[in-house]
Amino acid sequence: MPRYLIRRLGQAVLVVAGVIVLTFAIMRLVPGDPAVAYAGPKATAAELADARRRFGLDDPLPVQLWNYVRDLLGGDWGTSLHTRQPVRDDLFQAFPASLELVGAALIIALVAGIPLGIAAARYKGRLPDLSVRLSSMLAVSVPVFWLALALQTVFASGLGWFPVAGEYDASLDRTSPLHLYTNITAVDALITGNWPILTSTLAHLVLPALVIAAYPAGVVAQMTRAALIEESSRDHARLERALGFGETAVLTRFALRPALNPVLSLIALVFAYSIVNGFLVEAVFNWPGLGRYAADSIRSLDTPAIAGVTLLVAVLYVVANLAVDLLQGVVDPRVRAR
Amino acid sequence: MRWHMRLLAAGAVAAVTVTAAACSGGQVRGAADSAPQSGSSAGAAGGTADDTFTYVPNLDVVTDWDPASSYSNENIAMENIYESLTRYNPQTKKAEPRLASSWTSSPDGKKWTFTLREGAKFHTGKPVDAAAAKASIERTMKEGQGAAYIWGAVKKIEAKDATTLEFTLKYPAPLDLIASAGYASYVYDTTAASGDLKKWFGEGHDAGSGPYTIDTWQKGKETELTLKAFDDYWGGWDGAHYKKIAYRVTPELTTAWQLLQRGEVSFVQRLNAQLFAQAGSTDTVQTSQTPSFQNLLVLFNTADGPLKDVKLRQALQKAIDYDGLVAALKGAGVAASGLVPEGLLGNIPGMTPKQDLAGAEALLKEAGYGPGGKPLDLTLTYAQGDADQELLVTLLSSALDKLNVKLSAKPLQWTTQWDQGKAKDPSKRQDIFVMYWFPDYADAYSWFINVFHGEKDVQFNLSYLKDAAIDKEIDELPALTATDQAAAEKAYADLQNKIINEQAAVAVPYVQNYQRAYSKSVQGYVDNPAYPNVVFVYDLKPGA
Repeated sequence: MPRYLIRRLGQAVLVVAGVIVLTFAIMRLVPGDPAVAYAGPKATAAELADARRRFGLDDPLPVQLWNYVRDLLGGDWGTSLHTRQPVRDDLFQAFPASLELVGAALIIALVAGIPLGIAAARYKGRLPDLSVRLSSMLAVSVPVFWLALALQTVFASGLGWFPVAGEYDASLDRTSPLHLYTNITAVDALITGNWPILTSTLAHLVLPALVIAAYPAGVVAQMTRAALIEESSRDHARLERALGFGETAVLTRFALRPALNPVLSLIALVFAYSIVNGFLVEAVFNWPGLGRYAADSIRSLDTPAIAGVTLLVAVLYVVANLAVDLLQGVVDPRVRAR
Repeated sequence: MRWHMRLLAAGAVAAVTVTAAACSGGQVRGAADSAPQSGSSAGAAGGTADDTFTYVPNLDVVTDWDPASSYSNENIAMENIYESLTRYNPQTKKAEPRLASSWTSSPDGKKWTFTLREGAKFHTGKPVDAAAAKASIERTMKEGQGAAYIWGAVKKIEAKDATTLEFTLKYPAPLDLIASAGYASYVYDTTAASGDLKKWFGEGHDAGSGPYTIDTWQKGKETELTLKAFDDYWGGWDGAHYKKIAYRVTPELTTAWQLLQRGEVSFVQRLNAQLFAQAGSTDTVQTSQTPSFQNLLVLFNTADGPLKDVKLRQALQKAIDYDGLVAALKGAGVAASGLVPEGLLGNIPGMTPKQDLAGAEALLKEAGYGPGGKPLDLTLTYAQGDADQELLVTLLSSALDKLNVKLSAKPLQWTTQWDQGKAKDPSKRQDIFVMYWFPDYADAYSWFINVFHGEKDVQFNLSYLKDAAIDKEIDELPALTATDQAAAEKAYADLQNKIINEQAAVAVPYVQNYQRAYSKSVQGYVDNPAYPNVVFVYDLKPGA
């Protein structure tokens, strides 16, 4: 096990190192001068020179790369050209909101996807199965941007059932100030019993979380269905039927637990995917997360911020993969032997 | 057992990320985290929906809180927090009183004396007097950042008494216009912080004298900034006024429109043509369309390449489909008349250009090109992602195609486009450079000194025009504007004739329009193009 652990950790470190070099390359390959982006189009030559000195742009490339890696390891992710704040601070500000949104979406995906998968497996080849397969295929393939605009237009703007955009009603900041512990609004509101902000946040969460949940819910439903069908054809299922258990009981009491193994592994990986998938959804619903920060950064050619977002997302992917692999290794010796 | 472990895996990832997020333990978001300003209104602070004006910008509001160096989108808030000595009125084309109630200038335009209004106070509680105004402008000049260059003519500032501020200039300049600038002209309390003033500003404090003061600032949040009424504002709070302003950042135009339609916000800074048309026919919404001070310039390379020949430049001017372009912009642009937009001293009515393909063909033929002549290949650079510029390029390419002129147009990021335009090797530069221009204060001089005055090293003179007579005339503009506006008007007309008609260094296809949509309940809104995107909220009345 220690060798397996060291090997996987080593691989993860290599991947992160590769991403760091790539993000550095992106920053330097993107056309345009970051000094101009920082100092503004009407900056004087002296202001531009000052900006170049400030960002070390006059140093040779290897020196710049070394400085970049050294600063990253020291916790300095650079300064955003458009917010003028440290990128790390900006990410800490934006990431919890994305986490809140994706977390809610994954809960919806599990709560909706698993029962739908069970129903499809229970009525395999019949109308409920066909409906679930069709709707899950639609959920996986529909573009999130379109779905976001459609739900917003119908359920927020048209019917008025949900708020159009935002994280919560900002006027509550005055009447019900929120104490921050995790920076995740819903969690902090729950911990501190701030019900006005909690209910407002939940209302604002519904539509964007539903949109982000569409993809994982579709995948979870399809995977649950396939795994249940496989499990229910095994010997133990035949025995359970012989003992008089009905089909629903066989599926939910005996086949479901082993069938959920791959589903739960998948969720850890879908989490990182959903963070990126949510970028466009955040833009439509004006959710103050990483997506909006990334969009603003791209619009203003803010290379340190773009690199920061890229690095954070890459690290999330690596951490999610590593966690799944290591824990699989703990429980399954065959994985360690590979 | 395995599924438990998988669940643990997912939990571990979540735990890592939550831990990463948990960096703000114990802070309070909302009322308690805003630093209350001395003299701010407790009563006004508790705003209700009716007395709150909610402004929807497309981009983050605050980049720099320091009134000395601020040079970005935050002007939409700063103009409600800070005041300058004067404010420009595009209807009269003159500066009007703001913190200064009156002013005079010497006949040679080198000495300006401003009389400050009495009773004005900073949000810190200190009085706005001549000494404070001198200190703030001197600090802005010393910092030398952003638009601080506007004070370049100032040699000396003296506070003669509490209300008299005297400027001595190195050369004549229209200081009343300069003092009305949208950036770097603010008067503020330089003694507001006990320590580092810049750092204090950066924490979200203000030291202005305007009608509103900072209430809350949450960088990155949807409602990034709220302002509240300053009780001791010199204008008073009699009558109906908005008591709070909220800036709700909404990059997506469709979302901004839906918020306005639902009555959740008061004012949307920008909509696309389709949504703007929809807003125009919505009962609960009103719209406003005002020409800005920003125009599109098509700059021809007068120094190198085929366009060195003035006939070819004139042919290109005639090939542009000005009317077609304005029609296709569906209200986002208005026909330009000369280089100087309407509302500024120097705007010349009757200089609106028209497409003349026969004239263009004749000029091309004179130069040996055109249908049946030598083929002409030209390069053009324009802003990547700008749909309006792309429209111009499409129309121009199609018109030139018929004239045996091939246009190779490249959309580029501004920095790349500009770098190419400034290339030391003239052969690497483009033949045609497309860009917008706007002045930092309401003075047409900005176009002439920056874009058409000869430069040793190229900055913005991207037509590379070098004409000693034109340079001399441009150099005389500030003095004329300061001392003899009629003569200045004549000089501007003469310069535009030389640059556009004789030298054909530029074509001006259109002036951008500001298209605003706002709630029917907002009364008294007038767009002032001298302050791009600014709503002077104190001047508005909240309606039913």
